[in-house]
Amino acid sequence: MSILESIESVRNSFRADIDSFPTDPREIESLRTKYFGRKGLLAGLYSTLAELSISEKPAAGQQINSLKNELQGEFDSQTSYSKTDEKGNQELLDLSLPGLPFKSGSVHPLQQTLDEIKSIFKSVGFKVAYGPEIEDDYHNFEALNIPKHHPARDMQDTFFITDNMVLRTHTSNVQIHLMENREPPLRYVVPGRVYRNEAVSYKSYCLFHQIEGLYVDKHVSMADLKGIIDYFVKRFFGENTRMRFRPSYFPFTEPSAEVDIWDEKRGKWMEILGCGMVDPNVFDNIGYDSSVWHGYAFGMGIERMTMLKFGIDDIRLFYQNDVRFLEQF
Amino acid sequence: MRVSINWLRQYVEINESPDELADMLSMLGLEAEVPEKQHFSGIVVGLVIKAEKHPNADRLKLCIVSDGEEEFQVVCGAPNVDAGQKVPFAKVGAVLGDDFIITRAKIRGEHSDGMICSESELGLSDNQEGIMVLDDKAKPGTDFNDYFTDQDYLEIDLTPNRPDCMSHFGVARDIAAKTGRKLNQIIYKEKEFKSNDVEKMLTINIEDPDSCPRYVAGVVKNIHIGPSPDWMKAALESAGQRSINNIVDISNYVLLEMGHPTHIFDYDKIPSKTISIRKAKKGESFKTLDELDRTLTDQLLITDGEHPIAIAGVMGGYDSAVSESSNNVLIESAYFDPITIRLGAKSLNMTTDASKRFERGADPDGAMNAYWRVVELLEDLAGGEWVPGIIDAYPKKIVQKSITLTRRKVDILAGVDLSDDFIKDTLSSLEIVIDETGDGTWTCMPPTFRPDLEREVDLIEELCRMVGYDHIPASFHYKGLYDPGDIDPEDGITNITAVLSGLGFNQCYLNSLTDEKTSNLMGNNNAIPMINPLSSAMSHLRTSLFPGLLQTLNHNIHSGFSHLRLFEIGNIYYRDTEYTEQLQLAGIIHGEMQSENIHGEAFPHSFYTLKSYISGFFANLNLPELSFKTNKYDHYEYGVSIRYNESEIGYCGKLDHSILTELDIDAKNVFGFQIDLKQIIQAMNQSIKYESIIPFPKVERDLNFVMNEDIEAEDVILSIKNAGGANFQSAFPKNIFRHESLGENKKSITFNIIFQSPSKTLEEAEINSVINDITATIEKDFSAKLRDQ
Repeated sequence: MSILESIESVRNSFRADIDSFPTDPREIESLRTKYFGRKGLLAGLYSTLAELSISEKPAAGQQINSLKNELQGEFDSQTSYSKTDEKGNQELLDLSLPGLPFKSGSVHPLQQTLDEIKSIFKSVGFKVAYGPEIEDDYHNFEALNIPKHHPARDMQDTFFITDNMVLRTHTSNVQIHLMENREPPLRYVVPGRVYRNEAVSYKSYCLFHQIEGLYVDKHVSMADLKGIIDYFVKRFFGENTRMRFRPSYFPFTEPSAEVDIWDEKRGKWMEILGCGMVDPNVFDNIGYDSSVWHGYAFGMGIERMTMLKFGIDDIRLFYQNDVRFLEQF
Repeated sequence: MRVSINWLRQYVEINESPDELADMLSMLGLEAEVPEKQHFSGIVVGLVIKAEKHPNADRLKLCIVSDGEEEFQVVCGAPNVDAGQKVPFAKVGAVLGDDFIITRAKIRGEHSDGMICSESELGLSDNQEGIMVLDDKAKPGTDFNDYFTDQDYLEIDLTPNRPDCMSHFGVARDIAAKTGRKLNQIIYKEKEFKSNDVEKMLTINIEDPDSCPRYVAGVVKNIHIGPSPDWMKAALESAGQRSINNIVDISNYVLLEMGHPTHIFDYDKIPSKTISIRKAKKGESFKTLDELDRTLTDQLLITDGEHPIAIAGVMGGYDSAVSESSNNVLIESAYFDPITIRLGAKSLNMTTDASKRFERGADPDGAMNAYWRVVELLEDLAGGEWVPGIIDAYPKKIVQKSITLTRRKVDILAGVDLSDDFIKDTLSSLEIVIDETGDGTWTCMPPTFRPDLEREVDLIEELCRMVGYDHIPASFHYKGLYDPGDIDPEDGITNITAVLSGLGFNQCYLNSLTDEKTSNLMGNNNAIPMINPLSSAMSHLRTSLFPGLLQTLNHNIHSGFSHLRLFEIGNIYYRDTEYTEQLQLAGIIHGEMQSENIHGEAFPHSFYTLKSYISGFFANLNLPELSFKTNKYDHYEYGVSIRYNESEIGYCGKLDHSILTELDIDAKNVFGFQIDLKQIIQAMNQSIKYESIIPFPKVERDLNFVMNEDIEAEDVILSIKNAGGANFQSAFPKNIFRHESLGENKKSITFNIIFQSPSKTLEEAEINSVINDITATIEKDFSAKLRDQ
């Protein structure tokens, strides 16, 4: 019998056996030994290789290999609910056992909120810009219509690096950079880290994150501002969210507004963001013609939005990074 | 600011409930809140009929309290309890706080049926100074809840642009303008006089008119100091202030009523009969009313011509203050420059009710009104005799500027239709004098009490405020700006965090403020300090993300979670020639990659697991050009640099033990990586180029070389690649073997090498020839030896 015939005969024998595949584990094991055992039929084929000439060897070897793979595959598919160890001993499976431990990670809730807010505004044509945290007095205050010694400076306790350099107290500094470098119209949101020199407590931290919006065009009204905020609030907090706009004061917007949403659980209005029509002084400072260009701006705290959305009641949790907290998100 | 609703009712009708009123005011821009209401159980208004010394205790009093029907004996420890007072009386069975039940008690041998309460016991304030004394008109037996409803007040959080609302009248004025209800003016008389007698008693000398544009003064003689009448005590109390004496109360009352600060000096303590207003000399010292000695710099002072008698607009002096023995008083009612007062108050770290008003902008005409109001009250309540006349030093007249309002701007900004009539009526109701000039243009003159109205937009805000922001429609239109530029330069971060989280990492957000030691530990002595840090623990900007991550690791180890993978994306900061902020990605791993489990042993983290995460991270982001290079780097015991497209973008390895020790971290083996994030984001922006799939078979060969221990596998692979010819695909170390039989300091590495041609099936001979080339090269370059298979 040539080697090829031997291969074919093993294949045929296996076909016959597999057609009446046994159910008794001991019979399955003896079938396994018959073909795949150390003295099994496949091993026998391999041992005949030695008798072949050098030129015949590779082709025959390949044939035996492929037979082995074929048979093994079919045998395994018949015994897919069982497994054998290296020695060929059958292992009993308890399918209720857990799998290998798998460590899952998490994306920080502030990152998730930031991503969501960015994507809401990107979906309606806003671009995203970033700017420096270490800022000069002009961009953080002066250009935003907050002159030195103005009581509005008390609204934001400031960390100073030098007399003229501060850790920005809001992302609004980027409004100025944007307008200095670009011609209107503009439509941007600006996220980033901001700092306030305030004692750390459950409701305030020495730093937090803001996202700021700026829209500049020729005809922009309070109604447009209400429209974009309304759209955002409904997308972020849900379609049935009750919202109110009330007058407020920010040096860089006039008229200014604060936006509250109704918190059913607490039974009260919760402030979520500040906004308004860009103050003409700001346009004058950066050289846009305030008789032609109008705009709105808004800013909100990412921590605050996250706290309201997830019902988190202590801002320090965000910076403590306890895995029992992180893994909930 | 606390505003009493009853007090507001003097000027304007209020039908709303406190909650409705708070909502209305909030919608007007005066953010108001109804303080949380307490419910009182078993507490009534009591009348103290008798209060005598307790027979067995010096500090206690034995009182008889009536609830209108019955009389009760009560032992009371408060020093201020007195017969005739109306008091909050907790009867037996009353509940104070959450669960303190009043029971019948025996105190030093005398039984006590109930308790007379202080404000703090009722939970109304922190005031523990004696019992709370109620309005004289309160009827004994009245349920305290009912008594208290009449005392409703709001807390208003005013924005700095509205000094005009820092008084009850000011708030009432806004309510009247909004509702159209009648505004009742404060009634007082401007007295007439034939000769200005006061000029003989007083000289005013303003040396710095820019800082003190107006100073109104007068004298009232023969006043009698005593308690204020009950109506004034009640009014002050309803606005959260305590009564002191009739003179001090008058000044405080007028402030809460009209919003203009006044000061009353003891005239006889200013023998120079001169008021000179000047800036302080540096180092000048002065004792203020609160008995503190202040060292001055350049604050504005009221002086007697030589020595200070008050810090203008902030606080009066101790030596010129009204006292029990005062006889004649001098009234000051001035207008000071806002910035001067703000700088003065800030430099002394003082904020007073007066300074808050002046620095936001008081009403220059209000100075005159307040003067007359104070004169009248001094006559009525302190029996004083006004010295006819007034001194009105007004060297620098404050002139309101008129504002042009145009229909065009109103229409663009408001976003709601506002009729001409509405505009005229609204501005008039806000006491703005309005003149129609035709062509949809109005000339408007704001009142002197509205320093915030300077420009057209300020008037438009008033119109929006009065029509109500809730009446402005929300108009959503999406008009795209066609601008194909970069939508979001940091867009990639979303993907980066997703990939790392998939690799089992928890993202952290960490404080970027740290202490000096830590910032220098990781930095190059170029950390950026703050002039005014919150604390020494947060005095510098961080120079590395590692300390925060390590402290987070420590925190979690202490809570019982030590097998961790953490990362942060954030800025580090340093100063070289300029202030630099650099966006970084850093991570650490600690403990086990896989813990011991029913299927097998624990698998601890090591340098190699770290490397696999980094490779996996780049592979997931589809960034194929990653390589590592052994390198020395500060803060690592050992590690390799992370390279992308042959440029170094980061580092990874085992963190040096000294850092863990310095930061007090309870961990030994921590592996970390840091990567310049901007470079990854940049690489992510490069689009993928498809390469066609090769249909011809791969050929694999294993080569096993014995080489010196100090040779790095990566270098050998590079040589294999260089010698591997055109069909070389990859070389991968698959086995490493160390045994004395190999010789001292030797190791053997088996490399699995793959060849594949894009155009044909490779011939055996071709492969053999390349293998020979590779073998020769490796043997030569590394003094290695091919090991027998």
